[in-house]
Amino acid sequence: MTRWGMVIDTDRCTGCGACVVACHAENNIQTVGEEEARNGRAMHWLRIERHYEGEFPDIQVRFLPVLCQQCGSAPCEPVCPVYATYRTPEGLNAMVYSRCIGTRYCANNCPYTVRFFNWHAGEWPKPLDRQLNPDVSVRPAGVMEKCTFCVQRIQEGQDRAKDESRQVTDGDIKTACSQSCPARAITFGDLENSESRVAQMAKSARASHLLEDLGTDPSVIYLQGGEEH
Amino acid sequence: MQRNEKTWLHAVFESPIDAQGALQKLTEYGFDSNDIEVRSSIPLEGLYPPDLHVRSHVPLMAVLGGIVGGICAFMLTSLTSQAYPMETGGMPIVPLPTTGVITFEGIAIGAILTTVATVLYECGLPFFRMKSGPLDHYLAEGQIVIAAFMRADEYSDWTSKAVATKRQGPHQPPHSVTNVKGV
Amino acid sequence: MTPGRMSREVPLFRPLTSWRPKLILGSLLAGAVAALLFYSWGYQVRNDIGVTGLNRPVFWGFYITNFVFWIGISHAGTLISAILRVTSAEWRRPVTRCAEAITVFALSIGGLFPLIHLGRPWLFWFMIPLPNYRGLWPNFRSPLVWDMMAIGTYLTGSILYLLLPMLPDLAILRDRHIADNPNSARARIYRFLALGWRGTAQQWHSLESGIRALAVIIIPVAVSVHTIVSWDFSMTRQPMWHSTIFGPYFVVGAIYSGIAVLMVAMYLLRRGMGLESYLNDKIFNNLGLLFLTFTLIWSYFTFAEHLTVWYGNEPSEMAVFTERISGQYAWVFWAMILLNVALPMLVLSFPLGRKPFFTAIVGVGVLIGMWIERFLIVVGTLSLPRLDFTVGTYQPSWTELGILVGSFGLFVLLYLIFVQIAPIVSIWEVREGEHHLGQVRPASEHLTVETT
Repeated sequence: MTRWGMVIDTDRCTGCGACVVACHAENNIQTVGEEEARNGRAMHWLRIERHYEGEFPDIQVRFLPVLCQQCGSAPCEPVCPVYATYRTPEGLNAMVYSRCIGTRYCANNCPYTVRFFNWHAGEWPKPLDRQLNPDVSVRPAGVMEKCTFCVQRIQEGQDRAKDESRQVTDGDIKTACSQSCPARAITFGDLENSESRVAQMAKSARASHLLEDLGTDPSVIYLQGGEEH
Repeated sequence: MQRNEKTWLHAVFESPIDAQGALQKLTEYGFDSNDIEVRSSIPLEGLYPPDLHVRSHVPLMAVLGGIVGGICAFMLTSLTSQAYPMETGGMPIVPLPTTGVITFEGIAIGAILTTVATVLYECGLPFFRMKSGPLDHYLAEGQIVIAAFMRADEYSDWTSKAVATKRQGPHQPPHSVTNVKGV
Repeated sequence: MTPGRMSREVPLFRPLTSWRPKLILGSLLAGAVAALLFYSWGYQVRNDIGVTGLNRPVFWGFYITNFVFWIGISHAGTLISAILRVTSAEWRRPVTRCAEAITVFALSIGGLFPLIHLGRPWLFWFMIPLPNYRGLWPNFRSPLVWDMMAIGTYLTGSILYLLLPMLPDLAILRDRHIADNPNSARARIYRFLALGWRGTAQQWHSLESGIRALAVIIIPVAVSVHTIVSWDFSMTRQPMWHSTIFGPYFVVGAIYSGIAVLMVAMYLLRRGMGLESYLNDKIFNNLGLLFLTFTLIWSYFTFAEHLTVWYGNEPSEMAVFTERISGQYAWVFWAMILLNVALPMLVLSFPLGRKPFFTAIVGVGVLIGMWIERFLIVVGTLSLPRLDFTVGTYQPSWTELGILVGSFGLFVLLYLIFVQIAPIVSIWEVREGEHHLGQVRPASEHLTVETT
């Protein structure tokens, strides 16, 4: 069995935002513009939260990249009346856009606030439409969307391994965010494969989950507070 | 008109007490409860012919309808969920508590629909061919219409007796007789 | 027919026998306001749900508030009338019909809001359990599907519960109109609507069994409807939504707002249609006492709900709590306390305060207060998610306001149309009550014998 997971080393994160841009480019996420962003409609499947510690001038900023935690026991899944969001056998929390009717119930039950609604359809005026990723559907207005763990890349990696008649090996598949992180703070892989880097890192004493006390069993693991700090 | 053709004779009463008096007389004359019809704009408990057996199966049918509705709802919920078993990440597909909610509503809708259907069936409704009689507007005003089914040669006899119960006021002798028995 | 009753029934029949300019004008005005709802909704469907002020994290706003509000109001009728019928409260007789009509119309409007609120409303049928080419059925574990089932049941039940006891009255109207002019349009319409009701012993017996059965069934349905509406919130794990008290709290709030709208409607009907002899001071006094009881129960629930949160002192809940008690929502919260607790207790505790005018004033206040309560629950929690980086605010747009205002117009429109179709006070039930009291004078002076 496979369970895709991600380890984010917050001590390495510089808050540069490369992952956010990469995510936008990879996943055809619409940019809503200044006014809509001010109304709280900015769409970033991956966001970098800034947390300040201490008082000025002795102040320190900590960055926390937050994306869909791909929960093992996801609060968003059972509340969807039409099964638009469901769990795949590979541990992904999937979103079926064509099935979504836009009740937005899933977003309300997400403790991480990582679900995004298409209040309007995205626009890519020519020639920007050329930059759209052909592997990812462009969402219409009125549907929910969120981080997919770059499911198109997972698919592609599995296809390639199959073509080459081999198993998917650790490091074959990289999400857009992990690929683009200059500080290598983000690692992606199979948590069930004990050899994989994510599985190794998940055992670290520095590992924790976001809002762990809710028992959502996230697939995203944060590392924090070690020697590298 | 044939002398022995049976027909309905209608009488209007203002108060339930008068109606009761007339009913008593009719029973005394030996009229069968099937040959008497009391119509009113309000339910008149105890004002119907004493041997008239009206009964209603509404409570029984409501219970049966509830059971059927509940079973249907339970089957809908559990069978459809199993027909296309979604991956739920270890959560149950047909949990009893949530199925219970739908089953509850199924019981209710089953009971409601059978109740109404039973009432309509027992009342013989809808009955769009119903003909209005010339006395029906008295019903609308809250008066009581009593009809007795009798042979034509009886009715002049009976009307004279019934009219004997009236204390005063004009009486128009009946002039036309047609069968409008509705139910 | 006693002369007293005949003259008493005149105002009841007036809107049913001729066109009343006041009612026509009122319907037109209400229709104009109702048009606002459909215009705004059409605008929203054309230009996407983004024309609302909704955002992340406030994914639900006015529409869900209105949904809970209108569904709550729908508990006016069926529940109150059913409870009064089951307990044989004699004074219920003139109230039941106008309360049941409130239920049907409020529920229809309330049921619109989940559709209005959808991102893709034209796909709402994905939620309905229909055999379909996708082979996929709705997720019966979702409280939204429970909602749909419960509201469907309640709407069906309350429409039938309104119509079934109306049959004898429709027959009365049919007989009157046929006597006036058997070929008139009204005579034809009521002939159809009355379904051929004749008022025989068997019919009365079945009808009364049916009404009794429906009254008994509809009470748990009404309770389940608002419980399930509350479960939309309490099945989530969001701060101040995930509360076990929500089921009964919402049911009590629903009946509370239901009585409030009933008081206002009864006052307006009484004034506008001259029904003082039916909807008399005694009824207002009795309903006023029921109203006061629900003020106390609702206040108790509100206190218990907030006390537990405050004492528990859980940070994510306290964030919502503090914002409500002393933050940006404080003024609406305290306005709600004023309107839902202080005002009703002050006014309704005194016999003078239970006079029609004052109960109607309190009713308007409680309606506003109960709308605020739902708004605070919906938006208050959503604007303060657990991860405080995503805290948000919410400003309704003109579309949302238009739909809110329009929903009131639609309600009044439907009600005014109903008043012109059916007697708003159940004629036969009132007559039956008089019969029970022996108010019908036995002095029948003549017997008419006619044959047909």
